[in-house]
Amino acid sequence: MDNVNLNAFTENAARLGMRIQETFSEHTRDLSITRGGASIFDMPDDKVKNIGKQLDSNSDREKLDAMKRLIALISKGRNVSNYFPQVVKNVASQNLEIRKLVYIYLLRYAEHEPDLALLSINTFQKDLADSSPLIRAMALRVLSGIKVPMICGLVVLAIKKCAADFSPYVRKAAALAIPKAFQLDAGQQPALISVITTLLRDRSPLSIGSAVVAFESVCPTRLDLLHLQYRRLCKILIDVDEWGQVYLLNLLLRYARTMLPKPTVSQQGESTEEEVDADLQLLLVSSEPLVQSKNPAVVLAVVRVFYYAGPPSSTNKVVNPLLRIMHISREVERVVLAYLLIITRAQPQLFSMQYQRFLVRTDDPSQAKRDKIKVMLNLCDVDNHQALLREFIDCADDVDDTVVGDAVHAVGRCARVIPSCTPQCLSALMTMIKSRHDIVVSNAVLVLKALIQNQLLVDSSAPVSSQSPLSIIFHLARRVDDIKHPQARACVLWLVGQYSAAPGASTVIEGVADWAPDVLRKISKSFNTEGSLVKLQALTLAAKLFLLCPTDQRLGLLCGYVLSLGRYDLNYDVRDRTRMLNALLVGISPTMNGREMEEQSSVILRREQVIKVLFDGKAGIIEENEETFGLHHIPIGSLSLVTGKATLGDSVLPEWLEGGIDPLLRQSEEDVLPVALPPQAISSASSTAAKTLGSAGVTPIVLTPTGSSTPVREAKESHRDLEKFYASGSDKKCSDSESSPEEESEDNLEEGDSAHDSEESQDDTADDESSEEQEHEVTDGSSTKVQQ
Amino acid sequence: MAIDGLIILDASGRPVIQSGYTSFPPAYPLLLIDTLNNELSKASRTDSVDPVIYVPPGIGDFSGGSACCHVEMGELRLIASVSGDADPLIAFAFLQAFSEILHDYFGTVSTATLKDNFDVVYQLLEETLDSSGYPLTTSPNALRDIVLPPSLLSKLLASLPAPTSSGPNRPGASGASNAPSGAFASPIPWRKLGVRHNHNEILFDVAEELRAIVGRNGTTLTSNAYGKIEANAKLTGMPDLLLSFSNPNVLTECAFHPCVRLQRWMREKTLSFVPPDGKFVLMEYQYALPHAALAGNVPVPLALKPNITVGEFGGNFTVTFSSKTNRIMENVRIELYLGESATGAQCTISSAGSGVGSVGGIEGSWTFEPQRRLLRWEIPIMHSSGSWVLRGSWTSKAKIPRPAHAFQIHFEVPSYSFSSLKVDQVRLSGETYKIYKGVRAAGSGSIEWRW
Repeated sequence: MDNVNLNAFTENAARLGMRIQETFSEHTRDLSITRGGASIFDMPDDKVKNIGKQLDSNSDREKLDAMKRLIALISKGRNVSNYFPQVVKNVASQNLEIRKLVYIYLLRYAEHEPDLALLSINTFQKDLADSSPLIRAMALRVLSGIKVPMICGLVVLAIKKCAADFSPYVRKAAALAIPKAFQLDAGQQPALISVITTLLRDRSPLSIGSAVVAFESVCPTRLDLLHLQYRRLCKILIDVDEWGQVYLLNLLLRYARTMLPKPTVSQQGESTEEEVDADLQLLLVSSEPLVQSKNPAVVLAVVRVFYYAGPPSSTNKVVNPLLRIMHISREVERVVLAYLLIITRAQPQLFSMQYQRFLVRTDDPSQAKRDKIKVMLNLCDVDNHQALLREFIDCADDVDDTVVGDAVHAVGRCARVIPSCTPQCLSALMTMIKSRHDIVVSNAVLVLKALIQNQLLVDSSAPVSSQSPLSIIFHLARRVDDIKHPQARACVLWLVGQYSAAPGASTVIEGVADWAPDVLRKISKSFNTEGSLVKLQALTLAAKLFLLCPTDQRLGLLCGYVLSLGRYDLNYDVRDRTRMLNALLVGISPTMNGREMEEQSSVILRREQVIKVLFDGKAGIIEENEETFGLHHIPIGSLSLVTGKATLGDSVLPEWLEGGIDPLLRQSEEDVLPVALPPQAISSASSTAAKTLGSAGVTPIVLTPTGSSTPVREAKESHRDLEKFYASGSDKKCSDSESSPEEESEDNLEEGDSAHDSEESQDDTADDESSEEQEHEVTDGSSTKVQQ
Repeated sequence: MAIDGLIILDASGRPVIQSGYTSFPPAYPLLLIDTLNNELSKASRTDSVDPVIYVPPGIGDFSGGSACCHVEMGELRLIASVSGDADPLIAFAFLQAFSEILHDYFGTVSTATLKDNFDVVYQLLEETLDSSGYPLTTSPNALRDIVLPPSLLSKLLASLPAPTSSGPNRPGASGASNAPSGAFASPIPWRKLGVRHNHNEILFDVAEELRAIVGRNGTTLTSNAYGKIEANAKLTGMPDLLLSFSNPNVLTECAFHPCVRLQRWMREKTLSFVPPDGKFVLMEYQYALPHAALAGNVPVPLALKPNITVGEFGGNFTVTFSSKTNRIMENVRIELYLGESATGAQCTISSAGSGVGSVGGIEGSWTFEPQRRLLRWEIPIMHSSGSWVLRGSWTSKAKIPRPAHAFQIHFEVPSYSFSSLKVDQVRLSGETYKIYKGVRAAGSGSIEWRW
């Protein structure tokens, strides 16, 4: 065997040497260390013409070169479908690298050239019987990727064939081909469903993930197909590859919500008792270890299971995993925060102790900062509000305007959630008003307005202190020139107008607070340059002040001036408002705009009535629900929550079923009686270990059986298993209860070896021997077979 | 429910690699690229761009909108777009896996390496992402069997004629003959069969990072140390390792490579695993302080005394940086974002105090990065309890400059771990040879210091 191998090697070496010489003499450029890839990638256009010739050449090297050039062109966004006929000819190339590139090409352009694509189909069908699982899987992938409806029947046949393949990798490819065949022809659904059912029954966890994908796209509503598989799927969850775990967990969650009874909580005096269905418990127990996955998507899938299917006492299990995956990367943090927003809104107590984890870092993306602020607001409670308030105040210094806005609003919300900290919030906001940054000032004003209104509503006779609402308005009125933001400016004007009444107090103008008229004076000067939002409030302010003291001549003149400016404004909203105010005021001062008497309506209000109209009913606070609360019904883990926009096909988790379905339906034969063929050994093993949870390890999950499986050998293997099981009973006691994939893989390794070695009748117990040399013999053996 | 496709952009925002997008209108990938480039050019700092960008529907019959998830990788930018009801976390997890694969294959990843090896990248893409968007094989060990890593030798071999075309004397050979024979032969997905090394060794790197935020009054608001154990295994055959720690109680919130037997960890706090070949991250953890019940914070080993006055069209600052650890800190980097309209800075560095011993390490240097408007102060080596002062001023186009209100401090402490995690022993079973074992620790920190 070694000799043959050596011969082959020397032959190869000799040819290699020849080839090197050849290449040196002819194509020295290709020997540059950079593999010449870059030159292919950025090749000049005149080289493109050669591609066709190269594809037709006899040399694999030329063909490979041409294929690379084609892929480079594709990558640059050029349409190279005109080479299709020449490329198709190379589909049966013996060179694996050429073939792979041809596959890549075919997958892109087969749709455009269905007739020519059909030419290649024979090759793929032949490849489906190839001895290498890699080739078989690749052939199926390309075959199913050719979107020609005509061949759908062929594809389904190929899928069926591959679904029964002994290599799990090929079965995985078969599963992934199913959705494509279904897209091609929905009429194939029944056939495909039967393949899916077979695949879901697969012993190897490798292909389960893809089978689930197929299930979700072909027959997502046929959860009844899972009855028999549910328990087994739960148990092998831990051995499935990480991507498969995500899909499987989501499917099992959906199954649980549809088919299992909801966990019930019954209050009995002090203690609460939770009743969780055994099958649901199985899902929870088998998914819990997966929170230790490095893949954030897996962790989130587990979190979904606990959050949406677990009993109330188990929801706290989502806390640490979520906090952990937040630190994986800034991108992951951004996404997780969007989900945490939903969770913390519903159950703030879960995270309220962990608020430090949400403190904002300056180098976070703005969206993450905003979400953190919102999350912290959700968490705000009596114990942590001091720290959170400090954090919000710090965030108001941020360089991002939207973040500043959110932070300032958060200060206001803080005061509303925890009324006892209102004075602190007010003083913080007052400091912000003195800020030199426009954006801080304007946001602070908006928040102050809401707070003041709220305060006045709660306690209108607040003592006059530096923090009293009225003195705050006074401050605002004095700083009206510094407040530039139109909305904030309008806000100040409104506040001044609304709260300028000073009944009984001895003021210069009777009934009007001293600081108010000056605001009107200032605003009337700049009226023409203001935004329409400010103009509207200026008009209202004028009307209100005039109403408070109709006898004062200066106020009357000012008011008249502002109203006439408004009357001829460009904006029709402003003109409308002016007209309305004029009509209201006509009863108080008919002289003010006497020229328009003819326009006025027949109803004339008295002063008291006008005061009622203008001042009353304004104290109520409209809760700023700019929040997208509409999203809260969307389950965590969907795109809409992250983008904030509804996307098509948002999954809504099914509601719990009233009572769940009969658990007997889930009883598979394996649970009840020994399975027929790969028999006794398995069932006896599993029945002993079935009591310990997560005993999936004992059922022989064959990750990758490499040998072909004739029934004879299967029987032999299972016997061997049985013997081994009894032989190693003592040491298995401690290790068997765990369901780690390695345990089985060792077994399987041994199985795989024995498949090769069966002719040599190796001693079964010799598996402790270093398999290294053995394996080499085996691989050598197979290569000699090929070479002979 | 799946990823639409993957695009890799070069530094100037042009696509280098792009997956199929066969079921989408041809304009769709272009729309994604445009949207991202627009966002990037709009943002004042690339940091602040949302990693998930919403792309409104609009072209073709493809409705509902989608999202462009992107990460930066050196000069490149990786995009995975998702539409419909997909979890963007899958996209980010996939991007992470894919960039790890690229690093595994090419070492450093840049536009040049991608262009040199674009055929390999396309093959990798084909094997890792199914055309309908489901991740396939992402374990580097399994991939190496299917897609051969580039090397000069493989280039030479590729230029050889295929065996059958030149050798009619071997009629039995089929297309499979040059398929890697070991592909998918391994019983465990993360380790290939028949690995051989002349030197059997496994090296562990314990890397811990301290992440902390210090408030403006100098109190630590939050501080946590996160660690990860990276292993580089060069072991023959199918080794089964058992790694135990002398103080496993410092570990909490752990995450493991799929090869680790979880039940064993939960029971005994030891790591039992059959390692993949080559480099991999064995586990990740958080350092649990001994008195975790209280608001325990990992101590921050440095202090910063910023004194900043913001005036009109610029400002002045005096920043004192001192080390509070008895170890040598390396590569200290202190950064301050000076605001969108900052135009330049002028600084001097001096040692604080005149006493002997107050001067620590090498003086360091400062730079102003005009693109990112970042003032950066770098100190290559900082001796224990040394301290330095940076004085200077900056100018800005805006009348009222808006610098960030926090310094970002990065540092490294070689051969140090915050948790003082100790590997007790590494035992090998399943193979008979002797292995060389090595453990190395490295600490680093990323601290935000507010002012």
